[in-house]
Amino acid sequence: MKDKLYKALVDATHNVLKLMLNVTEISDRPAVDFSCDDEVDIAIGIVGDFQGEVIYRFPVATSLNMVNIMSGMQFEEVDVFVTSAVSEIANIISGNVLTALSVDDVKCDILPPVQCKPDEDKEYDIKTSCYLNTAIGDICLTIRLNRA
Amino acid sequence: MLWKDQYELGVPSIDEQHKELFRRVESFLQALRSAGSWEEKAPRLNETLEFMKGYVVEHFRDEEEYQLSINYPGYEHHKQLHNGMVDYVLEVSEQYERSGNNEDLMQQFGGRLLAWLINHVAAEDQRIADYARKKG
Repeated sequence: MKDKLYKALVDATHNVLKLMLNVTEISDRPAVDFSCDDEVDIAIGIVGDFQGEVIYRFPVATSLNMVNIMSGMQFEEVDVFVTSAVSEIANIISGNVLTALSVDDVKCDILPPVQCKPDEDKEYDIKTSCYLNTAIGDICLTIRLNRA
Repeated sequence: MLWKDQYELGVPSIDEQHKELFRRVESFLQALRSAGSWEEKAPRLNETLEFMKGYVVEHFRDEEEYQLSINYPGYEHHKQLHNGMVDYVLEVSEQYERSGNNEDLMQQFGGRLLAWLINHVAAEDQRIADYARKKG
């Protein structure tokens, strides 16, 4: 299950970045290598056969690059607009992950995105993370679930 | 420019509506992000929001009719996506009015609308075009 989750997360992110932002140069690296002091953290709750969340850690530079590409405008700082646009991207990726998992009869729904701070203390049945290095910056994703 | 040729579906009537939608959203975003006080920008934003409330419904209806005409198997799912966005636009519009034109609400709406629209046209709508091409 952990491997399936990892693959679904990486594939969904690849597809969304490619279709929405024309970003194709993406490599995945060990999540422990990810380091960032200034980031936009978004959590998408998951309910259904599994309960938990997907945490997206977008460094500020990555967040701004994403919104600049989508809008064709120049955003210099993270504000309500940028956070909302980045949250919607996280929402879209998460929806695609659940669609991929539904092929294996895993039935879950996602909750609206919320800003969060990564919380490493909680224990989960299944937890996997990936660190994606892309042409528009780094992204770190974690999916952590308990069986319902 | 917000519109990209890669978004074309190959269905002229729908492509024209998409281009108009992108033009309107682009104009909305430029007004939203322009310099100046919120009081100065609000009338133009309100006007665009009112237009979109009508145009989005009209476009979604036409696109759904096209899907039915080609027996698109993803029709129900796609219609749900449309309904979700229409509900969101109406909800934000009401909240915005009730709040006395709160800027943060509109900035939040703009960011989500931008990402939703690009994903919807670049990914979801392309599935309709792929199906139509395969069907021949």
